[in-house]
Amino acid sequence: MLPALRSIGGVEEVLYLSTCNRVEILASVAEDGNALKELSGFLARNGGLNQAEAANSFYEYRGEDAVRHIFRVASSLDSMVMGEAQILGQVKDAYREALAEYATGVVINRLMHCSFRAAKRVRSETGIAVNPVSVSHAAVELAKKIFGTLTGKIILLIGAGEMAELTGTQLIEKGAQSIIVANRSLAQAELLAEKFHGEAVALDALEKKLIEADIVISSTGAPDFIVTADMLKKIHHRRKNRLLFLIDIAVPRDIDPDASELENVYLYNIDNLQDIVDENINARRKEAIKAEKIIDEELERFINWQKELESVPTIVSLRNKADDIVKAEIEKASGWMNDLKKEDQEKIEILINSIVNKVLHSPVSVMKEESSEFNSRDIVAAVRRLFRLD
Amino acid sequence: MSFVNLEMLSFNTALVLCGASTIGYLSSLLVKKVKLAKMSTWVLAAAFAFLTVKFFFVMVNSSWFVNPDSKDFLSLCAWAVCAVYLVLQFKTKTRVLGAFISPLILLFLIAAAGEEAGKSIRPQNLQSGLTAAHLFLTIFGEVLFVIASCAGLMFIMQNRLLKSKKLSGMSRLLPSLNDLDRINHLCLLWGFPILSVGIIAGVIFAEMSWKTGWLTDPKIIWTFAAWMIYGFLLHQRLAIGWKGYRMALISGITFILLIVSYVGVKICCPTLHNFI
Repeated sequence: MLPALRSIGGVEEVLYLSTCNRVEILASVAEDGNALKELSGFLARNGGLNQAEAANSFYEYRGEDAVRHIFRVASSLDSMVMGEAQILGQVKDAYREALAEYATGVVINRLMHCSFRAAKRVRSETGIAVNPVSVSHAAVELAKKIFGTLTGKIILLIGAGEMAELTGTQLIEKGAQSIIVANRSLAQAELLAEKFHGEAVALDALEKKLIEADIVISSTGAPDFIVTADMLKKIHHRRKNRLLFLIDIAVPRDIDPDASELENVYLYNIDNLQDIVDENINARRKEAIKAEKIIDEELERFINWQKELESVPTIVSLRNKADDIVKAEIEKASGWMNDLKKEDQEKIEILINSIVNKVLHSPVSVMKEESSEFNSRDIVAAVRRLFRLD
Repeated sequence: MSFVNLEMLSFNTALVLCGASTIGYLSSLLVKKVKLAKMSTWVLAAAFAFLTVKFFFVMVNSSWFVNPDSKDFLSLCAWAVCAVYLVLQFKTKTRVLGAFISPLILLFLIAAAGEEAGKSIRPQNLQSGLTAAHLFLTIFGEVLFVIASCAGLMFIMQNRLLKSKKLSGMSRLLPSLNDLDRINHLCLLWGFPILSVGIIAGVIFAEMSWKTGWLTDPKIIWTFAAWMIYGFLLHQRLAIGWKGYRMALISGITFILLIVSYVGVKICCPTLHNFI
């Protein structure tokens, strides 16, 4: 992909970012060419889109807007799930790929480092990524508030639903010891249990398994309660009063709501979990306002750097040219200068350099001043012309 | 600078540091930032170090073990709470517990600061190594019980938050139920034998010096009641398997009852332990 993009005329630096819900090309292009048009044409061809579809799905940012956009993307402010952590990794991967292909240069390198810094600041200075915004993550957080650590905990899945499986996977990732699957159809239970290297049982063994379990996730399609408060009361003593976390994802409910009244039993149904998630999403939105301020600060830093960049190459070539002239003239004068004392030779060289510096001081400082106002273009062009730098 | 001055200096430093850590802990609850609680823990650890230095000077300075004054007694209480808390802290990483414990330490220190130095808490006839052991062990035993009860009160708060099905900021800040239950368990497990030995030392001493009459002393009855409840709780935990909410509730309630009865006894009844 990258070599093809780089071969487009006018494209100086380029980076290709593809995530689950976006494809973006970040490019630094020559101003006069029609590289942008060609880039979008390339994307359309590559994605098999016709003109109308392309017009509908493309977005384009330039200059400052583009910088802000990539900062927001890296900081996960532009993600479907705001504050998610994966996007920064994906942006870093895209950059690594571009580096390996030598597709980036001064501008994109700097831009990417600035966007990583912005993302890091957003993560550490705001609470945007603190609280879970998915039901399964909320369940994991609750489990941690009850048990502290999940190490050694036994999970009982009642029913073989997808949501239960997802939550089970995350609990196992966080250190839970094992999974027992109880289902009306034993064959299906075995199928799911195999995935987790767990144990499969039929529903009639449920009561026995409830004694072992620490966390229960229920998601059957049964019309009545599968786990009743009486059932839990009966086994309470045999469980040695251990804490029990019940998650009821089923509609209609699988677990008797009265179970919530029992000592050391914590019951959450899908609506409770969804409420927690909704509250966290709102909290993230509030944090996003703080994050946008950080983005603004980082944006200003980058723009300042970019402004200076405009005049820097000219200042460097001007200095080089002056140094070359001094060197050549001293070389020419070496015939008579060699007759002088070493001390005097050095004094003359110091004098020449100081004259050159004085002469160059005003053009250089004017260029710097103008570039911070972002209109150094004419002055830079004039200096290049006056000193024949091109 | 004399030892007495150095002792005063380290005590005052400890007092200021403890005040700072209390403010830190309480504000960490308000702004809901764990980082602040972490910093407060280190400040408290520094206060503990200064308090330890103070006791070093006390020991160099006088024969403290035989004849402590009220100031030393109260500082010793503060020091003991601090020591137990810091050990628990580094074992279980439940920093927010500090918000409950550090005000207590501060109260002890403020009370100590208000006491006149050099005022002996024990009449001449009570000065012996046995009473020193009695004093030291009973303080430690009671302190462990206090912390067990604090953990219990926090358990009740967290339990209530989790049962209300909301994951609020407060709930995120409080330690997990399991950790709180563990603190309660550890404190009872260590506190009971320590308090037992402390009481036995006191009994032996009383039997030797007073022979009769001491058994009906209100403060002795009070301590004995505390010891019994303590034993009962530990028994329920180890033999019956009580856990979590019920343990937390009973330790919380007995703690409040004992404090109330202690204050009542102190105000209303004459006692052999009139120095405490």
